[in-house]
Amino acid sequence: MKCNECLNLIEQYLDGEMPEREAEQVSAHLIACANCAREFEVFTAEQEIYARYDRELEIPPSMWTAIAARTAADENAIETRSRSGLRQWFAGLFTLPRFGFAFSSAMAVLIIAVAVGVIYLRNHQEQKPPLIAGTNNVSPLSPLIKTTEVTNPEAIANGKPLIPTRAPAKSSKVNQPARMNPVVGDQGGLLFTDAAYTDSEDRDTASHLEQAQNLLLSIRNIKSDDDEEIDVTYEKSESRRLLNENIVLRRDAEMGGKFPAKSVLGSLEPFLIDIANLPDKAPAPDVRQIKERVQKTEIVAELRSY
Amino acid sequence: MNSSADLVARACQGDQEAFRLIFERYSRPIISFVYDLVGDRELAEDLTQETFVRAHRGLKALREEAKLSTWLFGIAKNVARESLRSRARRQQRVELDDEAVLDLSDRGPEPVDQLLDRELNGVIRRSLAALDDDKRLVFTLKIFHQHSYEEIAEITGFSIPKLKTDLHRARIEMRRRIGPYVGGLSNEV
Repeated sequence: MKCNECLNLIEQYLDGEMPEREAEQVSAHLIACANCAREFEVFTAEQEIYARYDRELEIPPSMWTAIAARTAADENAIETRSRSGLRQWFAGLFTLPRFGFAFSSAMAVLIIAVAVGVIYLRNHQEQKPPLIAGTNNVSPLSPLIKTTEVTNPEAIANGKPLIPTRAPAKSSKVNQPARMNPVVGDQGGLLFTDAAYTDSEDRDTASHLEQAQNLLLSIRNIKSDDDEEIDVTYEKSESRRLLNENIVLRRDAEMGGKFPAKSVLGSLEPFLIDIANLPDKAPAPDVRQIKERVQKTEIVAELRSY
Repeated sequence: MNSSADLVARACQGDQEAFRLIFERYSRPIISFVYDLVGDRELAEDLTQETFVRAHRGLKALREEAKLSTWLFGIAKNVARESLRSRARRQQRVELDDEAVLDLSDRGPEPVDQLLDRELNGVIRRSLAALDDDKRLVFTLKIFHQHSYEEIAEITGFSIPKLKTDLHRARIEMRRRIGPYVGGLSNEV
């Protein structure tokens, strides 16, 4: 692979959006070419900076209260509408018929129907070939009836989803959202070296390890007995997210002299890299291999014991 | 069982607790995403609230196999864009002052510990605000929320070639602005 090709593909490679074979070629080139490797390092350094971006956002408790109130109001409104609709329907059953407007409306509809039928019959007879024109067993109203029969109720019932949705995902073992700001919580202006930050850093590490543990359990529980491809889209994206966090946390642990944390994060990283590099539809043997390593190395127990 | 599919199924049946769990699980990424798009803290809170209210109304329209996260991000994107459109005239975009960035970079080398500085957060925030809407949308979804190209295409409605181009350009623009803070970063891609 030439440098130009490599540099053109480097972002796709970094984003994990490249077919396996091409990714291997880029990897090989990055090992061999110092210039391209330097460029790749620039990208990873940027990724680290973005991973540290702290918006200092909090979810105010009042937000859920407001949402709950609004959704409850929505549901009440729906219930009230359906109840009043039902009540009117029942009331209608026991109401004596009144022949004022109803009678005149019915007559109007009947007249229109007869007129349309006559017009149709005339036109129909004019256009019919002689053989059919002789038959009288066609009701003038039948075209109207036929029109309603053709209507497909499902076509009306099936509205389009509000937004585009994804293709079916075969397996989604654990569903957790991408957690933002892994390292920096609400620090209230404290600097990185402050003691308060250290506490929050420990909490972040613990939370990170818990999520990693869930991910590894999810991988371990995947059924990979058949040789069919396995959809690991979720695990892969989760792993990518955790990998970014892991790099940052491991470096922080190293800088802060927290060697147990550094060690456990260091043990975890290869698993995250392997899972992040799986294709979306991973071959069963690849998944099996990771599962076996998870079991053999007892990484889950190591994370749990931290 | 608290998988997203279970929670959606339960919430569709009127289980408020299930919907609260969905909110707890996704509110942070959604508010971050919305904040990146609108650049206003209070507005981001309001729009996040609106996103979840709309999600609650539309839960039954969510196909079982669809990915809840992608769906929620799609709603959040629509809510944020509607808001941006409605305040387009009043909106004053904060442009990054390149001179200021260069001055800051002249203060000396930028070791890792400085990266957590509020100043850098401010630079990232302003750099994001200076991107045009499409680039900011794609950049945020990829870099901060690690969505795949396919998911970003579903959320934004953009074609994959368009979003790749936008992402590439956004990266260049962002690099130009945060470059001085990364020490040895080159200014060209």
